[in-house]
Amino acid sequence: MSEPGPRTCSRDFPGTIEAAEDAEMWIARQASVLGLGADAEFAINLCLEELFLNAVQHGGANQATISVCAEPSGVTVEFVDDGEPFDPTTAPARRITSPTEDFKIGGYGTGLMQKFSRRMSYRRSEGMNRLVLEFDAG
Amino acid sequence: MDMTVTRADDDIAHVVLDGRFDIQGAQEVDSRFVELADSSKAMIVDLSKVSFIASLGVRTLMLSAKVLIRRGSELVVCGANENVDKVLRGTGFNEVAGLYPDYESAIRTVNERLAEFSGKKS
Repeated sequence: MSEPGPRTCSRDFPGTIEAAEDAEMWIARQASVLGLGADAEFAINLCLEELFLNAVQHGGANQATISVCAEPSGVTVEFVDDGEPFDPTTAPARRITSPTEDFKIGGYGTGLMQKFSRRMSYRRSEGMNRLVLEFDAG
Repeated sequence: MDMTVTRADDDIAHVVLDGRFDIQGAQEVDSRFVELADSSKAMIVDLSKVSFIASLGVRTLMLSAKVLIRRGSELVVCGANENVDKVLRGTGFNEVAGLYPDYESAIRTVNERLAEFSGKKS
């Protein structure tokens, strides 16, 4: 028996923080259709939340498009937004490295995306940020 | 996200969260976390019913942890599931806050440290 082909879905979202919540619910609804495991769903939702925060709060994005392609070998998520140019693949990944009371309160999102995705690739084209994230299928 | 607070001995706040510690969840509990950090000797945050956390949820924990650490006290977390634990460790939060498997081990350690701290002060 041949392996199932790629399963895909795509949706546009407004550039609002509330849309991150809508995206999480959309991913939850698509999870069974796409065959996503619990860990993959957690990792994708974590990255989408960080991406919405970056795109909307820091980049002033008005819209974002999320496309998901699930295959037995892994899951690919593309996040396209019209915000200011921002490349999370080269942004510093902050992490507290020793016990201290002088730790920074924010700025940990990029490091979490790098930790929870298998690979990230970025390009800027036609005025859009185009980030592709790869995840394990599990 | 639901948040239940009980006071253990010596004004240690035992906070139980239930739900998703996402953007909305963090916004719902932020102000209560600030108040508790100001009014408690220490905080134990039970995440055993939290299914999801991202950086804004960690930010909420960090804000209160910082207030308590500066007073010579601490915020500790217990019961985090595997993915939530991975997020906390991914930010390095475990360097400034204890992560415990359950409430019993957390309260025992916090009580020992508070006793040690008050011994040093007297």
